[in-house]
Amino acid sequence: MKYTTFNQQAVDTMNEPMFFGKPVNVARYDQQRHPIFEKLIEKQISFFWRPEEVDVSKDRVDFLKLTDAEKHIFTSNLKYQTLLDSVQGRSPNIAFLPIISLPELETWVETWSFFETIHSRSYTHILRNLFPNPSEVFDDIVVNNEIKKRATDISKYYDDLIFYTQIYQTKGEGVFEIDGHTYTVNMRELKKKLYLCMNSVNALEAIRFYVSFACTFAFAERELMEGNSKIIRLIARDENIHLTSTQHILNLWTKGKDDPEMAEIAKELEQEAKDIFMLAVEQEKEWATYLFKDGSMLGLNEEILSQYVEYIANQRMAAIGLGQPYATSSNPLPWMNNYLSSDNVQVAPQETEISSYLVGQIDSEVGADDFEEFEL
Amino acid sequence: MIVDSKQPQVCVNKDARFTFEGEDNLLIAMEKQNIDVHYHCREGFCGACRTKICKGKVEYVIDPLAFIDDDEVLVCCCIPVGDVELQTY
Repeated sequence: MKYTTFNQQAVDTMNEPMFFGKPVNVARYDQQRHPIFEKLIEKQISFFWRPEEVDVSKDRVDFLKLTDAEKHIFTSNLKYQTLLDSVQGRSPNIAFLPIISLPELETWVETWSFFETIHSRSYTHILRNLFPNPSEVFDDIVVNNEIKKRATDISKYYDDLIFYTQIYQTKGEGVFEIDGHTYTVNMRELKKKLYLCMNSVNALEAIRFYVSFACTFAFAERELMEGNSKIIRLIARDENIHLTSTQHILNLWTKGKDDPEMAEIAKELEQEAKDIFMLAVEQEKEWATYLFKDGSMLGLNEEILSQYVEYIANQRMAAIGLGQPYATSSNPLPWMNNYLSSDNVQVAPQETEISSYLVGQIDSEVGADDFEEFEL
Repeated sequence: MIVDSKQPQVCVNKDARFTFEGEDNLLIAMEKQNIDVHYHCREGFCGACRTKICKGKVEYVIDPLAFIDDDEVLVCCCIPVGDVELQTY
């Protein structure tokens, strides 16, 4: 089925599934099958921020005072986050938009990806300030083996779904030979690939950022690299809302509130979904080992970080009905919560009260009694 | 402590019992009792404070955006309506 940017057939989106239904036409939000996505859009837009608003100039002085081991931890984390946001800034658009059937979900995905591009721009903002030539740091991302290992697992489910969708949208269902490989394309197969891809994205948003968040906030606990920490807090707040969206999608499927076939697939592939999550946990732990190879930093070590990853993995796997496979039951880094609370996200002094201060700032309710004391 | 019958009674994990005294939300009330609750955003969008509700009802002061199952509540943005029994994860 060919992709069309404006489907000229009338579509009742109230009866369409999130993905692989009829192509979208009018970007309308007056009727919504899953109104949660519009609520997420509103919330996410209320979080809008620009990296340039955060002054990172003091960080340079702090950075020069860090030990070599700490510098390695700091720059490696920035590199890894740059990779994650490079992927997330484009992939949801390319992989999901061509197969989405609901306008509210389509707009959510575009909003989500756009915010990831703000994150990407903020890494350049941070690195420009720390290094006379930040190009070396960026260049290393594609040659660093530790980062490449993770990049493979992050991008493969996206790439697979994108490729099969491309075949499906040019040739339809069938068995095709392309460059000596045979590809079996049918709707069931496509939906399976979508399910695995969504699980991989969910795991990415749920835990892949958290080892580096923990390091950033551990520096901030020592009053170091605070400009950077402010930016990472804004990023963490956005990532939390992105995670909420993938959890909603997965739960809508498993609970049979969207496409009934996706509910079957969710049951069928439950173990694979668990494996994707747990592999991400293992890779994050390995990442902690790599970070601390030259020595740890005050307040953090490999063991505590690994426990933290297991702790949040338990929480996040439970949220999508995958159980709590790890033994860690209490939070080994309780101070992390203070940095992740949205009330503590502060950009400019006028915003100190609430972080989403754009929401509801104007009271547009005017009644007849408001004019009672008026005289002409 | 004098128990006011009009104030909702909260029971957490079957052992901690306390009176809800009009705090902004259940999370603050639980923290006052030193009950360990996971939280991140405190604004209802991240879902970190998801808690099982075994008995009773809550009312949301902020629209919860995070996914919650039918038997779950987000304690960071709700208050109890009458007595409640909760179970943390």
